[in-house]
Amino acid sequence: MRVTTADRAQPASATYLICAAAWALPGAGHLWLGRTQKGLTFLIALTTMFAFGLWLEGRLFPFAVAQPLVLLAAFADIGIGIPYFLAKLFDAGRGDVVKITYEYGNTFIIVAGLLNMLVVLDVFDIAQGRK
Amino acid sequence: MTSHLGLMAIFAVFVSVVFAALMRETPGEQVRFGLRLLGGFIGAGLLIGWLLYPLPL
Repeated sequence: MRVTTADRAQPASATYLICAAAWALPGAGHLWLGRTQKGLTFLIALTTMFAFGLWLEGRLFPFAVAQPLVLLAAFADIGIGIPYFLAKLFDAGRGDVVKITYEYGNTFIIVAGLLNMLVVLDVFDIAQGRK
Repeated sequence: MTSHLGLMAIFAVFVSVVFAALMRETPGEQVRFGLRLLGGFIGAGLLIGWLLYPLPL
């Protein structure tokens, strides 16, 4: 079996840097650790899922502290990293509540962010030498 | 694209791909596990849909 950088535990500072990269760009952490196939899978699947949610007129929720469920959705949305900020930059994700696909779009966007958080946890385990 | 079943199937594909890549190491295992997950998601969705059908929601 090919030895990769992932087969060695990373120092703590590197681990957090790798996790930050994994959050910022889906799959980047796995690519960094030499898990190319997984990294590309996450990059393609999660960014496509997020883009699909935007196409379905889903909304990028605001950080509204007065509305706890909206706040939770906003944290889930931002879990996808840079694609979230790109969408904001290009004024996507305003959401159209009267569209029949609005709630479907929200679901795709939120779940893409949450899945990327799971991917970050996986990267953390790999970087710690646990996997 | 407004078919609930179609959107559910697409959603299940994305989730299955990510979970399969997370939980299995080799591509062969990932494909097999991903297909089982996909079948489970769609089957469970259809089953729960029919179970809810008689309810006056």
